[in-house]
Amino acid sequence: MVPDLLAQWMKERRSPYLLLTFIGLSVLAVVLFGMSSEGKTKIDVFLAEGTSEAEAAGWIERLNKSEAFEFVLRDEEPARAEVREGRAMAAVQLLPDDYRIVAAVDEIQGLLAERHVDTVFRQELQLRAAAERSGDPERFRLDAERILQNPPLTLHAAAPDGGEIVSYDMGLQLMFGFALFLAMFTIGSKINAVNAEKTSGIWNRMILSPVRKTQMYLGHLTYGFAAGFLQLAIVYLIFLYGFGFDLGGRFGMLLIVSALYTVAAVALAMLIAGMTKTPVQFNMVYPSVVPIFPLISGAYMPPGTITNDVLLVIGEFVPLTHAMDALLGIALYDAGWGDIFLPLAKLLLFAVICMGVGINLVERGRR
Amino acid sequence: MLETVELRKEFKGKTAVDDVSLYLNKGESVGLLGPNGAGKSTTISMISSLVKPTKGDVRLHGRSVIKQPQDIRKVLGVVPQEIALYEELSAYENLTFFGRLYKLKGAALESKIQETLEMVGLRERQKELIKTFSGGMKRRINIAAALLHDPEIVIMDEPTVGIDPQSRTHILDTVRLLNREKGTTVLYTSHYMEEVEQLCNRMYIMDHGRIIASGTHEELQRILSGEDTLLIQLNAPSQGLIQELQQLEPVRRAEETDNGLKLIVTKQSNILTAVVQAAERQRVQIINIHVHTPSLEDVFLHLTGRTLRD
Ligand SMILES: Nc1ncnc2c1ncn2[C@@H]1O[C@H](COP(=O)(O)OP(=O)(O)OP(=O)(O)O)[C@@H](O)[C@H]1O
Ligand SMILES: [Mg+2]
Repeated sequence: MVPDLLAQWMKERRSPYLLLTFIGLSVLAVVLFGMSSEGKTKIDVFLAEGTSEAEAAGWIERLNKSEAFEFVLRDEEPARAEVREGRAMAAVQLLPDDYRIVAAVDEIQGLLAERHVDTVFRQELQLRAAAERSGDPERFRLDAERILQNPPLTLHAAAPDGGEIVSYDMGLQLMFGFALFLAMFTIGSKINAVNAEKTSGIWNRMILSPVRKTQMYLGHLTYGFAAGFLQLAIVYLIFLYGFGFDLGGRFGMLLIVSALYTVAAVALAMLIAGMTKTPVQFNMVYPSVVPIFPLISGAYMPPGTITNDVLLVIGEFVPLTHAMDALLGIALYDAGWGDIFLPLAKLLLFAVICMGVGINLVERGRR
Repeated sequence: MLETVELRKEFKGKTAVDDVSLYLNKGESVGLLGPNGAGKSTTISMISSLVKPTKGDVRLHGRSVIKQPQDIRKVLGVVPQEIALYEELSAYENLTFFGRLYKLKGAALESKIQETLEMVGLRERQKELIKTFSGGMKRRINIAAALLHDPEIVIMDEPTVGIDPQSRTHILDTVRLLNREKGTTVLYTSHYMEEVEQLCNRMYIMDHGRIIASGTHEELQRILSGEDTLLIQLNAPSQGLIQELQQLEPVRRAEETDNGLKLIVTKQSNILTAVVQAAERQRVQIINIHVHTPSLEDVFLHLTGRTLRD
């Protein structure tokens, strides 16, 4: 095992660029997709006939008190096009004292946006109506706003378990999603060394040497694991200290879950190495399979977006799904070991099965 | 010290090696000759325990090693047909790695690396990356990597395939040095007859998975002792002459060559006059006649009806 690690390390020292590139890509992807407008979802607003720009500005200001959405004024055509082409999930058309939501069907975020817009309009129109009747609209308005800010009665919303409702942090989800996803590429490139050594004949040389089979496999598995895990840890640290992300304060637990995920990813790479015979074949199959995972597991989308039963079932067979569950549980919801036991157990099961079948296939593929 | 007994290997119903029995005595240098696909590499893989035979046995000092491959692995150095090296690493780093596989360390490892590099004549280039080497230089490092643990038996699978003359000379010198000065037993695979003639005491000739002949150079030549080869140079090609000569009683075979024809005839037949007369009848001029003692290439041709590099 030691000489094999040594050879991998000597190769790494000559070209450490791959690992560095994937760390860089993880950071870049999160910065590009995860941190646009600080996690708020942009929604276009356009005007119907008879609505004035000044009136619209008032509505937009009120709408923008939301934490989840950012409303921007735009022309009708591009706003509608964005929704039609799926780049935006919804847009709002302002009518005189009324609105229409333009949204793609089945968009959960569109529904959330609609609820928010609806609340804002209802509240404002009620205020106005009440102000009309009160005789001194100016004064009434000020009073009302003061009361709304310091309500005599407050409603305290709580999660079903009595805990605080946490505002969902999409940026954090994307950070984990991209980091786990890109780590798979690093791991794949390391595990592919098995196929490379088999085709070059180095593998046979090792078999003829006193080094044992288990040591050969352990060498590759350890190296793939170390590279993947190191990459994940570095990405987390960059976001924790460099970007001030709130990772929930239990870094050690995140690392343990990530380590388990890395084992599962190494096992998957081994399985694909077993199913392919040459490094070239591996390089064709692996990068076409891996990008499907975050899509199926919904790593890039807000929770609850995927509702299709078939996709949900397939998602169960993707290690990314369970790792995301566990990591977000720890970072956002204060989950303890008991809470994340199930996803961890699934990860482990996945790892054991893939590794078993994978190594078997690698062995059988021997000349 | 090493022998195979009726080795046989089938791949999905196709027989790659059939009934191969061969032996190596201590200190011998033995050649294994055969055209592409003859089954040489498969035989070597079975001897070195990389491939399990379908049937037959491999014995070291009379004991079967199929069940305990460790015994043979310890004494064996295998130079594979392919370049089994890390292209991204230097020659020195590769040898360090392969030395470590055999548990060599520190000064012992260092001196072994320098010794083998010296043997293959690449000591000055050791810091360079394998991928910058010529094909011949790669082959030389490929050999060096199999010698680090001082194997008693070295098996080389076509170590000179497709390389420059300088590297080839180096490799042949290395093999001679190993065998004659260090007393290493060598099994040398090739499809170059000249190499085997130069390097080996004995040889086996394989074709279609079977051993079709074996023995020393002289023994093999005796197969053809009843025949002579005549090389006849003509001023112009003549199918007519070939056809006419083929009718003659002592002519075993007549075939066209680049500048004339080649005849294989029974010895002591007085064929020359007949050839000259036939050429006159066919109106072609004989420029040169060369009577040639059969080479091993001719032996191979005789046995298989094909040349070695078909
Ligand atoms: N793993 C395998 N699966 C199926 N057929 C094989 C396998 N390995 C070898 N063969 C077949 O066995 C026969 C002998 O192959 P082998 O490589 O031993 O020949 P060789 O004498 O070494 O030839 P070369 O000079 O080309 O190296 C060939 O017909 C080859 O196609
Ligand atoms: Mg071969």
